[in-house]
Amino acid sequence: MIENVLELDQVSTVFRSGWGRGRRELTAMDDITLSVPAGETLGLVGESGSGKTTTGSVALGLRRPTSGTVRFLGRPFDRRRGTAGQIQAVFQNPNWSLNPRLTVGASIAEPLSAAEGGSLSSHEDAVLTMLDEVGLHRSVAERHPHELSGGQRQRVAVARALITRPRFIVFDEAVSALDVSVQAQVLNLIKDLQAQNGFAALFISHDLGAVRYVSHRIAVMRLGEIVELAETERFYDAPEHDYSRRLLEGM
Amino acid sequence: MTGTVAPIPRATAAQAARRGLRRAATTLDPLATVAACVLLAMFAATILARLVGLGGSPTEIVGTRLAAPSLAFPLGTDSLGRSLVPRLLEGIGTTLLLSVIAVAITAVLASTAGIVAGYRGGRVNGTIMRVGDMLYAFPSIILAILVAAVVGPGQVAALASIVLVTVPLMTRLVAVSSRAVADRDFVAAAVISGVSTPRILVRHILRNVAGTIAVQGTYALSIAILVEGGLSFLGYGVQLPGSSLGLLIKEGTTYMVKAPWLIVAPGVVLVIAILCINVIGDSLRDRLEPRETRSLV
Amino acid sequence: MSAPNASAAQIVVENAVVDYVTPSRTVRALDGATLRIPAGQRVGVVGESGSGKSTLGLLLGRLLPSLATATGAVDVAGSPVLELTPAAIARLRRSELAFIAQDAVGSLNPTLRIGRQLSLAMRPAKPAPGELVAMLERVRIRDPERVLRLFPHEISGGMAQRIAIAMAMHRAPRILVADEPTAALDTQVRDEVTRLVFELAREAGSTVLWLSHDLIAVAKWCDRIVVMYGGRVVEDGVAAEVIARPRHPYTAALAASLPARLAPGERLPAITGSPLVLTGPAAGCAFAPRCPFAAEQCSTVRPEPVIRESRGILCHRIDEIPALVAAGATSGETS
Repeated sequence: MIENVLELDQVSTVFRSGWGRGRRELTAMDDITLSVPAGETLGLVGESGSGKTTTGSVALGLRRPTSGTVRFLGRPFDRRRGTAGQIQAVFQNPNWSLNPRLTVGASIAEPLSAAEGGSLSSHEDAVLTMLDEVGLHRSVAERHPHELSGGQRQRVAVARALITRPRFIVFDEAVSALDVSVQAQVLNLIKDLQAQNGFAALFISHDLGAVRYVSHRIAVMRLGEIVELAETERFYDAPEHDYSRRLLEGM
Repeated sequence: MTGTVAPIPRATAAQAARRGLRRAATTLDPLATVAACVLLAMFAATILARLVGLGGSPTEIVGTRLAAPSLAFPLGTDSLGRSLVPRLLEGIGTTLLLSVIAVAITAVLASTAGIVAGYRGGRVNGTIMRVGDMLYAFPSIILAILVAAVVGPGQVAALASIVLVTVPLMTRLVAVSSRAVADRDFVAAAVISGVSTPRILVRHILRNVAGTIAVQGTYALSIAILVEGGLSFLGYGVQLPGSSLGLLIKEGTTYMVKAPWLIVAPGVVLVIAILCINVIGDSLRDRLEPRETRSLV
Repeated sequence: MSAPNASAAQIVVENAVVDYVTPSRTVRALDGATLRIPAGQRVGVVGESGSGKSTLGLLLGRLLPSLATATGAVDVAGSPVLELTPAAIARLRRSELAFIAQDAVGSLNPTLRIGRQLSLAMRPAKPAPGELVAMLERVRIRDPERVLRLFPHEISGGMAQRIAIAMAMHRAPRILVADEPTAALDTQVRDEVTRLVFELAREAGSTVLWLSHDLIAVAKWCDRIVVMYGGRVVEDGVAAEVIARPRHPYTAALAASLPARLAPGERLPAITGSPLVLTGPAAGCAFAPRCPFAAEQCSTVRPEPVIRESRGILCHRIDEIPALVAAGATSGETS
């Protein structure tokens, strides 16, 4: 039986703002149920405002849902206790993904030093191994982010996410800001590393082409709800929901 | 993986140019270099005056009262017949030392409050900002007088006033910079990895707003010198027999007609010091806080 | 089509070189770009960051930042753009050209309501009653009366882009330059906005220069595609044909690296390396360091455009490549 790494069970997230009469509510996640087994990537597509980014933050434990349960490895989710290093993320903007004041090596080492202790410089071997894995030269460890290209920085962000050998990674528009020719390199990297390490992944993107390439299953979100969740091939061959069809037409 | 290891990233033109920019950044621009030298000279002179009595004794009565500048007394003598040169050197020393200590205190308080406010956001940010706004709403010299009224005139009053006057603005600016840094993805990545909050504040936020703190600290220094001057001028700051730029100017005004050199010398020093500090501040700002530049191609 | 009759061309860019000069360095954005566009054509200019496509767009209106130096010949609607007086270039911009930028919200003045911006954009003419509403209706904005009273921060990116389009198309410009106008928009909105631009341009008879990195949209909407790399045009031909059968190695690699066109289970052939930044003229072909077919001359001799199958192609080895491919030469990724 395949183990579910992450499960969202009837999760809803409501944003409230304003006071009295001006009080407004926005349902960013409306009764979302989904699961991601080990070694599998779930693609999450939808337009901005569909709730996919909120779903990502809830899955990462950055945001507490209004109702529902989030389970990680079968246990209710409690960030900071027991999950350190087991959940990681790669974000969109390669310019903002790394601290400009730290060397690349220190950035990559940070999650490991948080999970296992030790200074940033005490995990050199692990850092060099990671650089090998993401296809960067070892000398990159000494460099600062501004000396790297966008694609290289995104590889570093992948290395940082993988150094603790996490069970679950969220890729939030992780290739959207890259040039087309570099995007393909990073997408291949993600696929290869998943095959090697067997992590579960949530791949959030508005780019249906990229999502199709890396995902095993695809969930389409709209206005906070999942309108369709299907195996990738089935989804692209015969989308069931009207909205999915419209999205695919725009591809 | 493809099994290939990417070669050492070629030193692309962009990187070479960025390195060039950084090299340029480590050397001060000419004007700021001059300003820094002038300030250093001031510091050196006052230290020498303390240590080896450069310029003579600030308390000894050496000549006639209100003597005009001469070879023996390059800046003349004051109303008691003391040479102005050693008094001025002592005054510069007091003013600079007081200001530097006050700004150091400001920097610590404002950085802590600003970084926490910027990182936490929400209610913490709101509270810190409102308190800052209240302080900021007071005219600085009135605030300083209030402080002097509470703690009594003297160096402590000057110190506390400078801190109260400079903290709000610096806190606000540090908070704004911290907010911008806190929104960046590497901070979220650190939070997800379980890095502790104090570590995040120091490693990720403080390191990236250090430039702002340095620049604002420099500007705060010139404000500090002004506040000290104003307070001592009004009689709430440094007290006789001590000496400070503000105090010397106050004394000078009494004999403005008979002995104008008494007000000109400390006045000019005050202006030069503030000018130099602001030039350095501008240069630091251009270097450490460049506006978000977008790629041109 | 490449190399159309020079006299028929409305836009002529001849060997344009643009350098951005800062005290610390010089970046070459255009490295001898040459392009002729006849009136009414819809041209997709495709390239990645650093390809020079944005610079090319700005060059047509002489809108480059002050630190840029431009040489070469640029002729727009019969006017030599680089030689015009400030008054003449302003007249040209006003009468012939319209620009749509990527960041539509940023291109609007945040302190003015939409209605006020629109009427300012129409100066010196005064908008007739109902004209502003009609303008918004043309770009299919629902409830235009309400939108006219809003501030830029109160509208969505898609709406802002429609308003920018309304302002750009209001004078029925002869030439429309759109620089990645949909890159910041959602997939669905993107399609609607693209359709809108091309429909309005057709009604007005405008020539369209559509700067984009989205090959698929270009194939769908443009007559002709111009592929740029390293500040030069590397392939130039009928859009649908070029994308279906790219000839230049860069175009081919770009088309192959689109995940959307991949059959399930296939692996993406990625191009190694990343786009380059030029500091001066390229010694040879700018793509040579990343090109699987590069030979010695490619990095030492600057290629000149050749015509193959009525396309302009900038490649030394264009005639040898089919044989190399047939012989099972390397694909981009395994090097």
